[in-house]
Amino acid sequence: MLIGLAIVALVRTPLAAQTYLIVVAGLGGEPVYRERFQVWGSALVSAARDTLGIADDRIVYLAEDPARDSRIDARSTKANFGTALDSIAARIEAAGRLVIVLVGHGSTTGGTPKLNLPGPDLEAADLAAWLDRFPTQEIVVLNLSSASGGWVAALSGERRIVVTATRSGTERLESLFGGYFIEALTSEGADLDKDGQVSLLEAFDYARQEVERAYDQQNRLLTEHALLDDDGDGAGVHEPDPATGDGARARQWFLTEVSTSDAGPVTDDAELAALYAEQARLETAVATLRGRKDAMDPEAYQAELERLLLALARTGRAIRERDEVPQ
Amino acid sequence: MTPGQLLRRSVLAASGWLAAAVAPAAAQDLAAARAAVAVGEYDAAIRQLRVRLLVRTLAEVGRYDEAVAAARQYEERHPGSVAVANVLGEVLAVTGDAAAATEAFQRAAAAGGADDSLDARYNLARGHFEAGRTNRAREELEAFIDTYNRAEQLSSEELAAVAGAVRLLAAWDWRHSRDALRAYDEAIAADPDNLEARVLVGDLFLEKYEGTEAIEAYEAVLERNPRHPGALLGLARQRRFAGSPAAMDFVDRALETNLRSVDALVLRAMLWVELEDLEQAQADVERALAVNPRALDALTLAAGIAFLEGDTEGFARSRQAVFAVNPRYASFYTTLAELSVRRRLYREAVDFAERAVALDSLSWSGHQLLGINRLRIGSMDEGRASLERAFEGNRYDAWAMNTLDLLDTLETYRIERSPRFVFAIDGKEAELLAPYVSTVAEEAYDRMAARYGYRPEPPVRVEIFPDHQDFSVRTVGLAGLGALGVSFGPVVAMDSPSARDAGEFHWAATLWHEIAHTFHLGLSAHRVPRWFTEGLAVFEERRARPGWGDRISPGFLRAFRDGRLHPVSRLNNGFLRPAFPEQLIFSYYQASLVCDLIAQEHGTEALTAILRAFRDGFTNEQVFLEILGTDVADFDELFDDYVRARFAGPLSALGSAGPVSAGGGHVTSDLGRLARDRPDDFAVQLAFGRSLLADGRLDEALVPLQRAKALFPQYGGHSSPYELLARAHLERGALEDAAVELRALTALNAGHYQGLLDLADVEERLGNPAEALTALDRAMYVYPLELDPHRRLAELAEAEGRWDLAVRERRAVLALRPVDRADALYRLARALRGAGQPDAARRTVLQALEIAPGFGAAQDLLLELHDARNP
Repeated sequence: MLIGLAIVALVRTPLAAQTYLIVVAGLGGEPVYRERFQVWGSALVSAARDTLGIADDRIVYLAEDPARDSRIDARSTKANFGTALDSIAARIEAAGRLVIVLVGHGSTTGGTPKLNLPGPDLEAADLAAWLDRFPTQEIVVLNLSSASGGWVAALSGERRIVVTATRSGTERLESLFGGYFIEALTSEGADLDKDGQVSLLEAFDYARQEVERAYDQQNRLLTEHALLDDDGDGAGVHEPDPATGDGARARQWFLTEVSTSDAGPVTDDAELAALYAEQARLETAVATLRGRKDAMDPEAYQAELERLLLALARTGRAIRERDEVPQ
Repeated sequence: MTPGQLLRRSVLAASGWLAAAVAPAAAQDLAAARAAVAVGEYDAAIRQLRVRLLVRTLAEVGRYDEAVAAARQYEERHPGSVAVANVLGEVLAVTGDAAAATEAFQRAAAAGGADDSLDARYNLARGHFEAGRTNRAREELEAFIDTYNRAEQLSSEELAAVAGAVRLLAAWDWRHSRDALRAYDEAIAADPDNLEARVLVGDLFLEKYEGTEAIEAYEAVLERNPRHPGALLGLARQRRFAGSPAAMDFVDRALETNLRSVDALVLRAMLWVELEDLEQAQADVERALAVNPRALDALTLAAGIAFLEGDTEGFARSRQAVFAVNPRYASFYTTLAELSVRRRLYREAVDFAERAVALDSLSWSGHQLLGINRLRIGSMDEGRASLERAFEGNRYDAWAMNTLDLLDTLETYRIERSPRFVFAIDGKEAELLAPYVSTVAEEAYDRMAARYGYRPEPPVRVEIFPDHQDFSVRTVGLAGLGALGVSFGPVVAMDSPSARDAGEFHWAATLWHEIAHTFHLGLSAHRVPRWFTEGLAVFEERRARPGWGDRISPGFLRAFRDGRLHPVSRLNNGFLRPAFPEQLIFSYYQASLVCDLIAQEHGTEALTAILRAFRDGFTNEQVFLEILGTDVADFDELFDDYVRARFAGPLSALGSAGPVSAGGGHVTSDLGRLARDRPDDFAVQLAFGRSLLADGRLDEALVPLQRAKALFPQYGGHSSPYELLARAHLERGALEDAAVELRALTALNAGHYQGLLDLADVEERLGNPAEALTALDRAMYVYPLELDPHRRLAELAEAEGRWDLAVRERRAVLALRPVDRADALYRLARALRGAGQPDAARRTVLQALEIAPGFGAAQDLLLELHDARNP
């Protein structure tokens, strides 16, 4: 567990990193999908700007029909996508973060994974080549299209997180994953550890489980298995486990730019600073204890857990009370 | 010869074995005649051909006396000839003259005897087998393997004899069934006209639960000879196995060819027994025994009928006759076990099956019946042991294999207990379902125990299957059963709500129904006829809650009006032999109306008295006479009058035509004209309203829908006026009006899941939280597997201060494995605190914080609980 924590610490993202977001909504084909892809894209763009704190000039939104929404910057052609990436590559700082979200219909022809766009389709290899222009940046690619599994191997790499809605190019049926993933990123329901933010891992787990529930409820066999790869080995997993591999980076990755999870709150109030430090210490102690759970006597574990959690709760209360005191 | 030796020789060209064929008698005799011709014995060939064909043909149509006379006459004219000895023996065996048959077979089988001597040897060995001389039979049967393996070439008839022999050897080694099939295939390949072999292949497949292959084999025969009694009988057996009423038609057709076929008469008698018509069954058994007084299956069935009639002397007499023929005839007890099962006498089935395996440890069907029925009475470990033994002996036993697989699945289930019940529930849903099912089951037990003055011995075992096929296997051993639940008395099995789509069935009413059967079976010592227990179980559902149980429908009333329902006196046929697919469903409702009428006229205690009367051996007729004081025929009329009076309005509004819909060429304007012309036609008014609704003409739709409702106010089924009116009002935004319709709909039909959800929503929007809560609570007894309704119900319960309900619902949310588990635990902890369970609340909030240590609201709750505990 200590080793796990050390690995997690190594991948923490710098506080000041700027985030660039490109949302590409592909061809819908049928009205229902045109509508759906645009709704997903628009929801994500709105949330990015309004609640995640990403500046408007760092958001690019490409969709099939720019006339449908004033937030759409241009048509989602391959050329426009390339141009947008060129533009970002010219501006982004070395420690910047690039998030690419692809929604639409995917396919795999002759082993080549593609996303259906107006005009020529986008191939995974095209995007892989474009991403070479971002050698130092953190990159997240969320391919929420059907038949997207093949994109993991094509895009996997150091400092990259790749999420696909399916595990292969043969899972071609309509995918539900994207809707749940965007719901997770844009609402509070997926904040599973209640730290006030939704990590990519939380969003992934949320969407994965909701997809399973939806299929289960309709008595259908699961025909989509989302993947996450963040250790750069080119192999995604359906159920990430940060302690053993994929998931460690995604757990620390938040789409929001205003992150308090990394270095903790900053204050000039020494008493409050001490409380924050105590809170951090207790959180670490709880995490450590949880890591030892299987090796401990259950009663001893419970007693220690309660002691730590009570202390943590009292610290939290003290922080709130101190916050309310006029300085 | 070593035991366990199998056929070695390679299979002959079997690919053409399904080709067309002609009569087997001709085939066999032609072969013999050919052999005679080959050595220049032309006269002998002609004589053999004539006489054998004559004897076989006479036997095939049941003219046994003439067949024997013809054979005897031939032998008198040709002293020392054994040419017809074997066929004579076969006819004598069919008519029960075992000694003379044996003598004839021995002559034919003697060294240097007839050309059909191998067939005669087989007949002799089979005679030993059927007389219980199993060691000798086995020895002689095993010799056929050597014969087969050493022979360079065998005729089709000889191969069929080998097949018959190894088929019997399968009693000792199941692998011989494969040999038998192979030898039959070779027999057919050698002579595609050997229809007898094809029928035997069908029989073999049927024995091994391969119904499709069996049908193919029989139908191939019937393509050549549509009157072939063996093939028709085979199809009758297959249909019986499939529970199809066509079994009787096929056996009747077989009897048209051979009115004296003992096998066909016995099968028909069995079908009569299953239809609970013992008089007809007895008549057929007597016909069979008139042909062959030593026929073991006929004597066994005679014993079975005596057993079901409580005729102990007759039973003992038949049993003695059976064991005089074959003292090791385990089928006597397996047949009685099967009959007991048909009458839901599962403990008796266990007793009989125990006797079968005690008599013959190689009675694999005995072991299987013992296993299956032990499971039905809740003896799980003993049942498994018996099934393992059955499967060890017969690897083709699909029922045993399926059930053993099911037992493996059941072992992974969680066992939950309540005072009078044990529940076996799939681990994935045990946490969710257990609180609901135990509440329903315990309430059902208490209410019915009070009503019937009878308490089934606890614990009653309830198994709940999320996979319908598992439920089907538990019930009938194979997949494909259409029912939702079954009660064996001490054991109830049913589909989980997750086995079906949302709202497809009312699981709580189903559980109530099956528990009612447990009471009825126990109180009547399992003697209650099917029609009465089904009707009474539906009656009990209706007594349990408003809107539970089967409902009136236009289809039922049309069937009633058109005389397509059985009268009460023959209502059992509606369950056991439905004449059309819906008749089974209609019979449930009809039987429940009979109970309504009895309760109305004689009080509900009469229903209990009827159960007791069945326990005491009363027949249907006696019950009506003694308990209700009326002749059953008079009751038929009474019931008819009752239904006409109770549903007078809807009956007059049914119209002359069937259902009318907006499809099938009707457009709204047509329907409008029809509706104007037929203002009192329910179907027309409903169809017009539905069509207007589909067109978005909401206000206009209200008029015909209201009219339809007035014409048939009792109807709350699919697309009822209430449902359509509610939809119209919701789309119009008229919440109050929608609420009125939804309340009425769900009062009539508590299984209308969407109606309940809509009602909850409307009530909440109307500011009626208590009513919304009630609607959602009722929805849980239809389909408890959706998260949102539980969350909504929990919130309503919390707002109403109904903390116990809130706890139940918060637990349900958790059991549904929400992604945000920390939040679900925190909310459960709050509900527990509200319900006055601070320790449970503290433990639960700690679980929430273990997942999310920084969860502010949960931290506050923990401190609050801690401070309250340590002031």
